[in-house]
Amino acid sequence: MMEILIVLDQIQAGLGGTEHGDLPLGGKKIALGAADMFDKYLNKDEKITTTLFCGDEYYMKNKNEVSLKLAAMINKLKPDAVICGPAFHYVEYAEMCAQTGAIVSEKTNIPVVAAMSKECSDVIKEYSNKVDIVKMPRKGGTGLSESLQDIIDVCRKKVNGDDLNEFKEIKIY
Amino acid sequence: MFNKLEKVLMPAATKLGSNRILIAIRDGFLITTPLIIVASIFLLIANFPIPGWSEFWANYFGNGWESWFTNVSRAVFNTVGFFTCFSTAYAYARQIKSDAIQAAASALVAFLILTPTKMIVDGLKEPVDGVLDMEYLGTNGIFLGLIVAFIAVIIYDFVYKRGWTIKMPDGVPPAVAQSFEALIPSAFVIMVFFFIRILFGMTGFETLHNFIYQILQVPLKGAGNTLMAQIIYGFACTIFWFFGINGPAVANSVFAPITKVLTMENLDAFQNGHKLPNIFTDPFSNFFTNFGGGGSTLSLVIVMLLVCKSERIKQLGKLAIVPGFFGINEPIIFGLPIVLNPILLVPFNLVPLINLLLSTLVTKIGIIPYTNGVALPWTTPIGFSGYLSTGSLWASVYQILLLILGCLIYYPFIKTLDKQYLKEEHDAKMEKVENISFDDLTNDDLNFI
Repeated sequence: MMEILIVLDQIQAGLGGTEHGDLPLGGKKIALGAADMFDKYLNKDEKITTTLFCGDEYYMKNKNEVSLKLAAMINKLKPDAVICGPAFHYVEYAEMCAQTGAIVSEKTNIPVVAAMSKECSDVIKEYSNKVDIVKMPRKGGTGLSESLQDIIDVCRKKVNGDDLNEFKEIKIY
Repeated sequence: MFNKLEKVLMPAATKLGSNRILIAIRDGFLITTPLIIVASIFLLIANFPIPGWSEFWANYFGNGWESWFTNVSRAVFNTVGFFTCFSTAYAYARQIKSDAIQAAASALVAFLILTPTKMIVDGLKEPVDGVLDMEYLGTNGIFLGLIVAFIAVIIYDFVYKRGWTIKMPDGVPPAVAQSFEALIPSAFVIMVFFFIRILFGMTGFETLHNFIYQILQVPLKGAGNTLMAQIIYGFACTIFWFFGINGPAVANSVFAPITKVLTMENLDAFQNGHKLPNIFTDPFSNFFTNFGGGGSTLSLVIVMLLVCKSERIKQLGKLAIVPGFFGINEPIIFGLPIVLNPILLVPFNLVPLINLLLSTLVTKIGIIPYTNGVALPWTTPIGFSGYLSTGSLWASVYQILLLILGCLIYYPFIKTLDKQYLKEEHDAKMEKVENISFDDLTNDDLNFI
């Protein structure tokens, strides 16, 4: 069983709208909110088992502390793979995904993937060489299902230690 | 608002629900209902609404085969007033703990005392004397039957409970003693109606039957035969259900005698090949306004099954769909529930009302025929019931359209409820899920870098 951990903001976790940006760090041993979107792309032996979440405002006020704690928790829980996102075009959330993904990528052997749309160009520029960021459309844009499939594919390849070259350039920033 | 509504409705419902006369009328009709349903099946076979039906069977059984079946249906339908008198008297006497069977028997005699015994026969100058015209025993006798039933039982009970009876000494078998006990009360009943008959014989009406029919039944039937009366009836049914009271059971005690007459008149016309006179019959109410039970909840159940995500609603939908096709919706009324559920109050009232208005319109402009008055069981499924009650396939198609319209009206409301239940289910599930607390991170955890 491949156990996947996902990192979401308060909106994607289904824990409130922008007004709940101050939601502090938390987590549940279940697939919350947007995590359900991946259901149909997962094989029988793959499952999102854990959701970590944090409000985007809370993250912006405590950037380093939040990403460090998220990475520390991921390291402690030791999932088989981590998905940071999908962040769509939400820049703050995208930054949380990228920063956390970068730490996990750098400091642990746990396969990690972030995902955001091209609108988050500054974040992509800063972190694309530190963590694999999968391309995806902005909220409501076309190509969402394809990108969700890509996220899972990249995850799977990283877990299996497969070559990612064919993905680079086309699917990954 | 709901509290205020409840304050007004509850006493009214309790009063209506505990009124002995209304209960007796309801129970009296219940005694005749099985006979009417069985007779309807015979009638349906004789008049099955398929072109060529009669000719097809005539090849095998000969012309006039229908009369085998109509002999049975006539035995019930042409005596329905007579039996209503008996059954209501019996139900009422049972209510007031009198000698039910003897009181009912005396009511029946009283009814016959009042019934004309002269019949005008075509081709004869003088009326034939000493015969009973079934015209007075059937539908036209329902109202008089009810009145006679109550008066007779009240007189009987008055005498009986005062002990004005012939007491037999101990040792006489109980059946014999009871028979003598009934003698004087029955004599009082017969005496009273004896004088009533004589009194009416002196008037221009000649008989009480004629009097009642002209004075009471015609205007009352007229009042019940209006759209407004039907709207009030429909609203009463659903609003009572909202408070957990069987709405039709309450409302029918007032309306059933009227719609029964309207139904029987259509049946009579149907049997005789005349133009059908009434729209608002029992089949019209059962199959074109309230199919699937009060509130036309069959539409609701379909929406529950098709679009709702909450486990609670989905499971209930599965349980309720089969009974729903047969017009039984108690699982929804008490299970969803509809009782005291403000979210569903609006569509539960609105759907039958819209059905009523649309059905009245399409019947009036002739898209679907008038119902023929055949008392199909109210459990006849949608589609079949439309066809069988009117003989038109358009009526079946129309029913399906109504069903779809009902689904559309129920949809936003049940979705609201679905969301509410989903949230409750989700919250309940989430409470059980293990939380991950970042407070549990130790310095060692944070120093992994």
